[in-house]
Order: sequence, then C-alpha cells, then structure tokens
Amino acid sequence: MHPENDPKKIWQSQPVEPSVMTIHLLRRRVRQLHARTRKQLVGSLVMPIVIIASYIYAIRQFHYPVVQSLFALTIAWSMAGVYFLNRGMWSAEMPGDAALSTGLEFYRREVDRRCSLFRRLLWWGFLPMISIIGTFILALATTEGSKSLPKAMPFITLLIVWVGAYLVIRMREQRELRREIDELNEVEKSVGG
Amino acid sequence: MNGVASQDELYRDVAEQFGSALERLARAYEVDPDKRRDLIQEIHFQLWRSFERFDARCSTRTWVYRVAHHVAASHVLRERRKFSNLVSVEELEMLPDKDHGHFAADRRINLDRLSALIQQLKPLDRQVIVSYLEDMDAASIGEITGLSPANVAMRISRIKNILARRFHEGGNHAS
Repeated sequence: MHPENDPKKIWQSQPVEPSVMTIHLLRRRVRQLHARTRKQLVGSLVMPIVIIASYIYAIRQFHYPVVQSLFALTIAWSMAGVYFLNRGMWSAEMPGDAALSTGLEFYRREVDRRCSLFRRLLWWGFLPMISIIGTFILALATTEGSKSLPKAMPFITLLIVWVGAYLVIRMREQRELRREIDELNEVEKSVGG
Repeated sequence: MNGVASQDELYRDVAEQFGSALERLARAYEVDPDKRRDLIQEIHFQLWRSFERFDARCSTRTWVYRVAHHVAASHVLRERRKFSNLVSVEELEMLPDKDHGHFAADRRINLDRLSALIQQLKPLDRQVIVSYLEDMDAASIGEITGLSPANVAMRISRIKNILARRFHEGGNHAS
C-alpha cells in the first residue's frame, strides 16, 4: 500500500500547532466565565423591568378593559417566561462535568436539552411576544379604528412574514433533532440488547 | 490546596501527552481555523475543570477523550445550519465519492479529503472514526462512546470500507 494513502498514517502525521493554553490562561478564562455569568444575571434582572415598564405604558395608553386585561395576561405570561427560560439556561451541564458519561449518553442529553430549550423558547418567549404584538394590533384597531391600522399594515405584514419564516426554520430544526433522538434511541436499544 | 495542585499537574501531564491528539480531534469537528482554535481552547479549559473531580474510575485516556468529544459534540450542535447536513456512517457508505479514482500523492490533499469526509459525519460516528484513526481498539472506543463492542465493530467495518474505497483504491489506480 502506498504510504501516502494509509488513512491512519495521514491522520496521525498531520502537522499540529503546539497548544498555547497555560494554567494562567485557564484561570483567566474562569474569571471571564464568572464575569459573563454576572453580566447575564444582571441582564436577566433588567429584562423583566423593561417588559413591565413597557406593558404598564401600553395599559395606560389604551383604556379598553379587554385590551388592558390582555396586556395584564401577557405581563404574567412574560414574567413566568423569564423565570422558565433562565432556569433552563442555568441548569445546562458543562462538558467538563460529564466525563463519567459516555459519548452516547452526553450527546443524547445534549440533543434532548436543545429540543426542550426550543419548546421553552416557543412557549415562554416567542408566544408571549406574539401575544403582545397581537394585543397591540387589536388595541390599534379598536381605539383608532381604520385610521392607524392601514398605516401599520406594511410593518404588520413584514412581522407576519418574519414570524412565519422563523417558525418554519425552527420547526425544521426541531424535526431534525427529533429524528436524531429516534436514531439514538435505536442505538441505545442495540447497546442494551 | 493539594486538590488544586493535582488538578494542575494532571492537566499539564495530559496536555503534554494528548495535546497533538486533541488538536487532531478538533480538526475532525471544525474546518474553520479560527473557530478550531476556539474549540481547542474550550476543550483544554473543560479538561482542566474536569480534573477537579477526576477519581480514576476510568483511565485518563478515556476521561480525556470523553471530555474532548463532549465539548466537540456540543460545538457541532451549536452550529445548527451545518448540523442539518450531517450523515451517519451508513448513509456515507451509500454516497458517491466525487474524488473517486483521483488519488493525490500529496499527503496534504489526502488529509483535507479525510478531514472533509469525517466532517460530514454525525457526532457519534465521528467519535468512532477519530478513535479508529488514533489506533484505538474496539473495547477502548466502546468505553469512550458507550456503544456495544458489536456496534463499534460494525461501524469500524463500515468506516474501513469507506476509507478503503476512497483512499486505497484511488492509490492503487494512481500507482
């Protein structure tokens, strides 16, 4: 066999750059990770405040009880969403914590986690956002009738197209992840059997 | 203090012993040099962190490869657009080889072809092929991946077929 076409030789003799990670750099990375976590925590506190402030402003702008109730409902939904979305993010397992898990176990958990993250994002982030936009459109239609709504139509159309495209792309990704879970289930069955 | 010292010492030993293998592993998961550098740094970081709780329940080599493949698998899942185009080793076996018969006597070109082939695979199959290329036996690959010996053997057999078709045959035509 020609030595140039033995895959193992090709693979093992490839040129590699020496690693530049030192203990000092690793410790710096820990500090950076902590700083990023702190920033994310602050961000997760700022977000609910912004949401509440904008919804209260919206409630004060539109005086119809139905619209106000819908805004109030969406506030509650969004606040619950902030909690559930953050809970999902903080509980993510880092790869370094899973060395006792095999590749199959860890990968399966990661695919599962991404699937459930998307569901949480849909229920607690995306749908409350759609709900608030729908409520705004309803409020515009009921308070100012046909005057404001036609002006907002290009924006609303763009929004609907964006929402549709986003949903189609994310659903397709979701289907792929589910297919991957099915395949991994089959592999797990063969390992168990 | 001892824990910290042993964590650092363990990491230094492993970085020295497996540094090149980890660089090769990163190549199997990321084609872009900048992203690959980030991936390697993340692998080293997670490895160093992991040694805080290393209790020798498995060999150091299994531990190192598991952590490295976990980091890389997460990386692949994050790259959502690329993830949708990945195939299993069974599917890859059925795909026609565009370069078939065009064996290159240049090791660099062959390495690029081999890397491109690996990068088409789903993470679990990538773990098997990378371990195979690193000269590990089926038992070691099973310990890292969690696949049964029969499953590992079947995948290795398929991988060998693919590699033989794409490299050996091409080489025979050329020589």
